[in-house]
Amino acid sequence: MSSQIIDQYANKLGEDVRTSVHTGSASGTDKRFKVLFDDLPDANGLRTTAGNVKQHTLDHLDKYLEQAERALISNGAKVHYAWDSETTCSQVENILKQASARTVTKSKSMVSEEVGLNESLLKKGYDLVETDLGEFILQLDGDHPSHVVKPIIHKNRAEIARTFEKHGLGEYNDEPEIITRRAREFMRAKYLAAEATITGANFISAESGRLCIVTNEGNSRFGLAGARIQIALVGIEKIVPRDADLALMLNLLGRSATGQALTVYTEFISGPKPVDSVSGPEELHVIFVNNRRTEVLDSNCREILRCIRCGACMNVCPVYRQASGHAYRSVYPGPLGAVLSPLLAGAEGFSELADLPKASSLCGACNEVCPVDIPIPDLLLRLRDKGKREKSSNAATDSPPMGAWSWVAKSPSLWRASLRSANMLNLLPYEKIPFGPLGRWTKDRTLPPWRGGKFRAWVKNREKEAK
Amino acid sequence: MSDRERIFEAIRTAVAKTENPAPLPEYSMDSTVSISRLGAGGWSGFQKNFEAVNGDFLETGEDLKALLTKEKAKVGYCPENLQDLVRPHLPEGIELRSNFDRSKINEYDFGITKATSAIAETGTLILEDSKTPDRLGALAPWIHIALVDKSSLLDTVATAIKSLPKDPNVIWVTGPSKTADVEGILIEGVHGPGIQACLLV
Amino acid sequence: MLATLKNYHLLQNIMAKITLLKTPPERVLFMATCLCDAFFDEAAKASVEVLESLGIEVIIPDAQTCCGQPAFNGGDWKASRSVVRHTIKVFAGEDPIIVPSGSCAAMMFHGAPLEFEKEDDYQAVKETGDRTWEIFDFIYNGLGIKEWEGSWNGRVAVHSSCHTRGTGTTEAISSLLGSIENLEILDFAEPEQCCGFGGTFSVSFPNISRNMGNLKIENILETKPDLLVSGDMSCLMHLRGLAEKSGRDMPVKHAIEVLRDTVKSEQKTNVLTNH
Repeated sequence: MSSQIIDQYANKLGEDVRTSVHTGSASGTDKRFKVLFDDLPDANGLRTTAGNVKQHTLDHLDKYLEQAERALISNGAKVHYAWDSETTCSQVENILKQASARTVTKSKSMVSEEVGLNESLLKKGYDLVETDLGEFILQLDGDHPSHVVKPIIHKNRAEIARTFEKHGLGEYNDEPEIITRRAREFMRAKYLAAEATITGANFISAESGRLCIVTNEGNSRFGLAGARIQIALVGIEKIVPRDADLALMLNLLGRSATGQALTVYTEFISGPKPVDSVSGPEELHVIFVNNRRTEVLDSNCREILRCIRCGACMNVCPVYRQASGHAYRSVYPGPLGAVLSPLLAGAEGFSELADLPKASSLCGACNEVCPVDIPIPDLLLRLRDKGKREKSSNAATDSPPMGAWSWVAKSPSLWRASLRSANMLNLLPYEKIPFGPLGRWTKDRTLPPWRGGKFRAWVKNREKEAK
Repeated sequence: MSDRERIFEAIRTAVAKTENPAPLPEYSMDSTVSISRLGAGGWSGFQKNFEAVNGDFLETGEDLKALLTKEKAKVGYCPENLQDLVRPHLPEGIELRSNFDRSKINEYDFGITKATSAIAETGTLILEDSKTPDRLGALAPWIHIALVDKSSLLDTVATAIKSLPKDPNVIWVTGPSKTADVEGILIEGVHGPGIQACLLV
Repeated sequence: MLATLKNYHLLQNIMAKITLLKTPPERVLFMATCLCDAFFDEAAKASVEVLESLGIEVIIPDAQTCCGQPAFNGGDWKASRSVVRHTIKVFAGEDPIIVPSGSCAAMMFHGAPLEFEKEDDYQAVKETGDRTWEIFDFIYNGLGIKEWEGSWNGRVAVHSSCHTRGTGTTEAISSLLGSIENLEILDFAEPEQCCGFGGTFSVSFPNISRNMGNLKIENILETKPDLLVSGDMSCLMHLRGLAEKSGRDMPVKHAIEVLRDTVKSEQKTNVLTNH
């Protein structure tokens, strides 16, 4: 019995992975709920406000991007623009070449995953290391993140211990504290050896040109302290209008992501280091990355660009919890990915990922937890419309065809006739038919007795009696 | 056409089609404040929040001595201009170095630097690059002690944002560095300090 | 087209206030829903009986079929729109449209406008949706009835369907049922998690749908309810189907049937004076 790709993936998922993912997601959901509503008297009102701030920025993105650029340049940063994956990677490489950099430390950047930066640089012989513990482990494994905030939510300590042993980081030891200490020791040498460090940015203020980077580990901070040049990859949608809006966003981000009022390190970077500072980058390069964001801006799903990458949506999503992040076959998983990934794949790639918007019961929990109030279910529906109109086969798999149904539903007499005639179902052993939508229902569920026409008959009888 | 031109053109085309562009909402910064966290405010409010994220609040020089003794610290980084402040409160036999030598990064048990201010609402210390001779001194050793002026407390995140200085690198530090990447289990002391302390001066 | 971005509850609150200002409607149109037409006539009957017990005339258009949601969710908006066009014709006029399903109500006032964004008859669709009420929301917020007379002995678990997020329905069901003498409302774990039905989702993602349903059933059965109710038979059909197939006992009813069961003829006057 075939079914959708994500459903099959969920069905084959190992119990240990499902447990890891469920534990991580559920704790994220609980912590968020507790901290957000304990701390903020009108948390839902703030979500709406933050959503409007972001929407306003998107609706006027040209103006704010120009403003951010001017501010960055006057702060002494160098500003670059990259249209797609290739130009992003080649621009990073040019900057590294000009700085004669060979060793590179990197902190978390989902944009860098989009453009395949790591593969590109490693192929060209750069010594590049991910410094965030989770991303470091993924790099060792040749694996990819399955969550935007908790990249190894799908892994358990035994797997990590084996990875460390395999890569010469010590004999098998699965104590989280030991694993962390080993990473700490290993990374120190890298931070100081690196000539360049690559970061993302959670926000850029158009007003001051400040980049805001939040971490708990201190890895981006250390990367900056060690290196001579910083390259920040920033999606064009990461802009907020004013510094004051940073306060709004920061109050929502930590609480939504991990149940923290603030992450341990909130860095505000507005340029290269002061001249008389000993440590810190002498050059700050900001690359504004497009990678089809302008296409999303131009679509009827613009709202998804409000996303501040908190991960609350995937934490609460029951489908994500069942399938885990890799089922989404793209950089962004969960409800975020179900909208963003098919769009970032462009016209050629949409069809391949057109099943992602279908992998949802449209429960709306994602919108309820989104700190910028993205109407995700509406966007999923718009993408389903797009998938149907473009006849994407992945979207159509196992979805009952609606043409015939709507034909009957438009005709009252046909409708009433079908209701009555289907009473035959009660006489047939229909649960013995193992295929089709009916079969997929009855595999695990009983169907209630068909009672088509009974309500209508009751109505008619009352009308008769009333006369 | 350069990438920059291409991107701007595509953005302009897209936003020109917006039927009802969203206005910038007016909102009060007060709405972003956590009254419950702020509590009574002041340094006692700060201390409560600082300790809630496992910060070590050192009220007096004695507390500093006790911490360094407990952790068996031997060598510490401390810029020249702060050494007189702390020397009276150091245990016997501690060595202070006024320059951070990268090649000896693991020799420093602690680093002392001046924080420019703090945030009561979240228990956050604010470090500015131009007031910290070497970032690594605050970041690399296992213990970081931030000296904070009693008069420099800010009440909320909103206020702190308004007070952001022109410094190219400002760090808000809210507790010791940590990760929960391994099975969601909290471990402190990842790449940054495992012990984050502050001493009011 | 910002209507699609507004919150449900805002719309409903506006409607609620406007309606409360006028006298309660003498007459409503009743949309039975395709599910009740096919399987759950009892829920449809109970809805009509409850409305009539409040002194309201209930018109049940014979030509009604479906709100169009199955095709809408499936992405076949062309097919869905053709059904919606039929439905708004059937329910034309100015009377409120009452429907015993949060899911169908949301389709009428949120989903249909979304798929008609670029259509010429958008306004007609929107106007129809604006006067469509889920039945509990109508009783509690539209008519202002905050308590229900009568008694009902037992422990009841109330499942909120996902389409009632951000609407007045959740509070309406819990409050009205909770006000019934001797009826104990139970709290169960993870109430925000979807039951897994999701319409065609249940058959295109059958494994995930089943797993979600089983998690929900476990959470509910742990509280040992006498009855599981909801404002949506779709969720109940899925949950009951799962429970029954695997040999677990879990009686279900539409929440409106509990209201109907407690209505005694001599209480009719009392209920009316509530508003």
